[in-house]
Amino acid sequence: MKAVISRRKFVQISVLSAASLGVGKAAYWFAPSLPYPALKVGNINNLQTGQAVYFNYPDARAQAILVKLGRQATGGIGKGRDVVAFSAACTHMGCGVQYKEGRFVCPCHFSMFDPAKNGQVYQGLASTYLPQIELRLDSNGDIYARAIGGLIWGRASNI
Amino acid sequence: MALFERRDQLPIPPKNAKAHNTVCQYCNVGCGYKVYVWPVGQVGGVQAGQNAFGVDLRNQGPIAGQTYSETMHSVITMKDGLQYHVVAVPAKDSPINRNGDHSSRGATNAIATWSEERATRERLKYPLLRVGDMFQAVTWDEAMNVLAGVAKGIRDKWSDDEIAVKAFDHGGSGAGFENNYGVGSLFFKGFSVKHISIHNRPAYNSEVWGSRERGVHELNYDASDARLADTIVLWGANTYETASVFYTQHMLPNLQGATVAEKQKAFAKGEAAEPAYFVVVDPRRTSSLTAAEQAAQGRTLHLRPNLGTDYILANAIARVIWERKYYDMNFLQNRTDMQKFEAYKSKSLGVGTAYANFMAEAESITGVKRADIEKAADWIAKPKPGGAKRRTLTIYEKGMIWNMKNYDQVAAVVQMNVLSQNIGRPGTGVGRQGGHQEGYVRPAAPTPGSIYNGGPPVNVDKYLTDGNGKLYWVIATNPYLSTPNAQIFRKRIHERTKTLTDYLGQSGEPGTTQGLVDKILKGLEATEGLFLVVQDLYMTHTAMDAHLVLPASAWGEANQTSINCNSRLLRLYEKFVDPPGDAKQDWEICKMTAQKMAALYRKEGNEEQAKRFDFANKWAKDEDVFLDGANEFPNNKIPEQEEATLPAECYKGVTYAYLKQVGQQGIRTPVRQDPATGKLAGTLRRYSSKFGTKDGKFSWYATDDWQGYPEEVSKYLEGEMAGKYPFWMTTGRAQSIWQTMYNDRLLPEKTTGLPLPYVEVHPQDAHKLGIKGGDIVQVWNEEGNGNFMVYITDAVKPGLIFALQYHTRGTSNSMTSGYTDPKTTIPWYKGTRVNIRKISGGLPDILATASTLQNNKFD
Repeated sequence: MKAVISRRKFVQISVLSAASLGVGKAAYWFAPSLPYPALKVGNINNLQTGQAVYFNYPDARAQAILVKLGRQATGGIGKGRDVVAFSAACTHMGCGVQYKEGRFVCPCHFSMFDPAKNGQVYQGLASTYLPQIELRLDSNGDIYARAIGGLIWGRASNI
Repeated sequence: MALFERRDQLPIPPKNAKAHNTVCQYCNVGCGYKVYVWPVGQVGGVQAGQNAFGVDLRNQGPIAGQTYSETMHSVITMKDGLQYHVVAVPAKDSPINRNGDHSSRGATNAIATWSEERATRERLKYPLLRVGDMFQAVTWDEAMNVLAGVAKGIRDKWSDDEIAVKAFDHGGSGAGFENNYGVGSLFFKGFSVKHISIHNRPAYNSEVWGSRERGVHELNYDASDARLADTIVLWGANTYETASVFYTQHMLPNLQGATVAEKQKAFAKGEAAEPAYFVVVDPRRTSSLTAAEQAAQGRTLHLRPNLGTDYILANAIARVIWERKYYDMNFLQNRTDMQKFEAYKSKSLGVGTAYANFMAEAESITGVKRADIEKAADWIAKPKPGGAKRRTLTIYEKGMIWNMKNYDQVAAVVQMNVLSQNIGRPGTGVGRQGGHQEGYVRPAAPTPGSIYNGGPPVNVDKYLTDGNGKLYWVIATNPYLSTPNAQIFRKRIHERTKTLTDYLGQSGEPGTTQGLVDKILKGLEATEGLFLVVQDLYMTHTAMDAHLVLPASAWGEANQTSINCNSRLLRLYEKFVDPPGDAKQDWEICKMTAQKMAALYRKEGNEEQAKRFDFANKWAKDEDVFLDGANEFPNNKIPEQEEATLPAECYKGVTYAYLKQVGQQGIRTPVRQDPATGKLAGTLRRYSSKFGTKDGKFSWYATDDWQGYPEEVSKYLEGEMAGKYPFWMTTGRAQSIWQTMYNDRLLPEKTTGLPLPYVEVHPQDAHKLGIKGGDIVQVWNEEGNGNFMVYITDAVKPGLIFALQYHTRGTSNSMTSGYTDPKTTIPWYKGTRVNIRKISGGLPDILATASTLQNNKFD
């Protein structure tokens, strides 16, 4: 890898790589990059502050949590901008996080996440924020999960 | 929505991705990692047979599965001009991070690698010389001509005493045995430098001479001892946050009772094996304590001594152990120096004083109730039901080391454990947790020991701030943040470096190398100026004032070797990427410097001096340095019972080929070579047969009586000053960030949550001060000032605040005093007095994006 290559050879390699491998799209995928389903997960009028609602998204194997926090949150919907949803799999090692008194706590190694701040890890071994689920509200008050802003633990792709 | 870019799919390493074994670059735990590298354009599949992990990525269960999170992938460009995917995931076959566990630090190893596509593009690529008061790129040859020219000029005109150095002495973090040996050889074999200090303190010393001079190296236990202990004591160590996986994989399972079967296997037949008890000695309700309160209800004990009084507390626990006869007289007589024991007994245990009086005095000094001291002694040393000796593992770290009276603190806690024979047996030990990994191999250092053994070492900070020294060479550390009394230090170094810069000319400066060298030397003679060289990964706060900046290469950019702290496990950290630009390993930079020095001396026919700098000529590659370093260790063809005679890091006989073969299993130092077969053998646990003294016996020490606080701090406790600075301040680290944040400050995953250094304030104090979580406050005293974000928490007591020690935007070290233990020159970073005021207004962005939830509350 230390070998010095001539400029001409470098250009050839680069052109070849670009042509044969499609360099442009290969490097990164920014979430949301997948065709997520729209899934009704509740009605805003039925939510009680502090009571977590569990659902599966984007498929039956992925648990998620919907909660009305009672305080304004990044990405929150509703009048108080306080209704949010997250993947329930801890981003550390995949255990199911629990909603307790305004935050998510993982029972396995005690990682804690702030649902009002984009699922920020504010304590523990997890390096990645909990993936936040994009919510949409229709005129009837129905809440739809629309996409996921982050990778669900254990997967190489959310879908 | 996301506060920074997120991924919802990641490239899968194909089966033919190049796989490397390595170890995390960050904390003392040294979790095993696997790195996969493959060209951009190829991808693996989700089925087990289609990817390098060998797992089905559609169906993974918690814990058992392979973690591959968003922070574990990056794309980098190698020297061949091609782009590669780099994936760094926790290894599943490591005895350290069992189950593939990992912390929030190690999980970002991949995104911390150099990449032009990320903020890590800030890495230094070329040597930079301050020309016309701005940094201009120069070649290595020019940089070395200037550096060697100035260094030689200083030696010719003055002496090596005018060359001051500050350098790492650790493993991991891109250092390791190779770079330690490079640095040590340059400054102790080539130069003969005595004004040298270690990365995080103002002198060249051990932080634990109080243990070593007893015959106990601080790394004497194995991580598995935390799984076997009846009682775990954390003394000034917040393991959950600063050695996270040691806590979650070795302590937590024991607290939860999940290691009882392992205990039954390791213990004597019929010996009681129960879930562990847990004692935390700390001024704060740390997360290590509060997590244990969830996991081991009714089996946790918290002792909160007044700052600086820990050694009095350790002695009081030891007095209870003595009083209640929780010791084995045979052990004491056979394994310890009984003559010295008499002095310990009388001075530290105060056996001449009535028990009740002694305990009442201990209670009044430490603020810890007698009943709690006695309970701690029972948990640490009382024989178990059935009569078997209790097995207690005591882990201490910076709360003891960077305490007032470093030497006595460390000695007292070690002696407490040895009195109850909690050393050298499975499930026991008394050792430091460690901060970083280790990898020390060097020619003999200029300071042999504490004041009792040829010390104390010189305080190099004071030497420099007093106006001494001509050249200051800083390697892989950022003392503007990390040294005690940092405000005075950085103002003074700034002043002295600027003096030299100004001397070089108001307009045109010398354009030839020799002209520049001559002018620098003239300036060093005519003024109080200082020539500053910084060798690092990044343009640090300190480097901003440098005259010459040398780009170093990092973890993963070369082969390196280190040991972890909790098992002394030696492994090979394989190279997997090329360094940025022309950055080089520290040992390579030391070699180039040495060769340039030799050439300058040879040119003038001074063969005697030239020869001093020939040490590196035989180093062609990393392993050459590793093998050359091994020659510093004594003969290790010795039987197991003699292991105590070996330096803790001895690896003589180990080769890279051997380390490749053992992979994540590594080998535990000190390594022996079997006298009969020559086969390499590691050391699981130390001091089962002898201690590391001349006669093999533990060397007791009579600690000082309580003498109150040193003048630098006691001045704040009297008269008007007591009202002006009404708060005690202690300091420490946070889970998610590593050291000065040199990498983390570039990662939004870290900086969004911790945008500023912070202070923890008790709710009662917050109410009095009219502050709330997320406010910005100034903390100050007569030493310095710092602005911090506020967290409200019951982790601290009223009247005590905790400040984050290092952050890229500030440091509590600005307020710490210049006091060091006169026996060791180790600072007291963790105690002083301050005042706090709210800075009016607020930063709405921080309130909107940084969490202020209480991070020690798990219930």
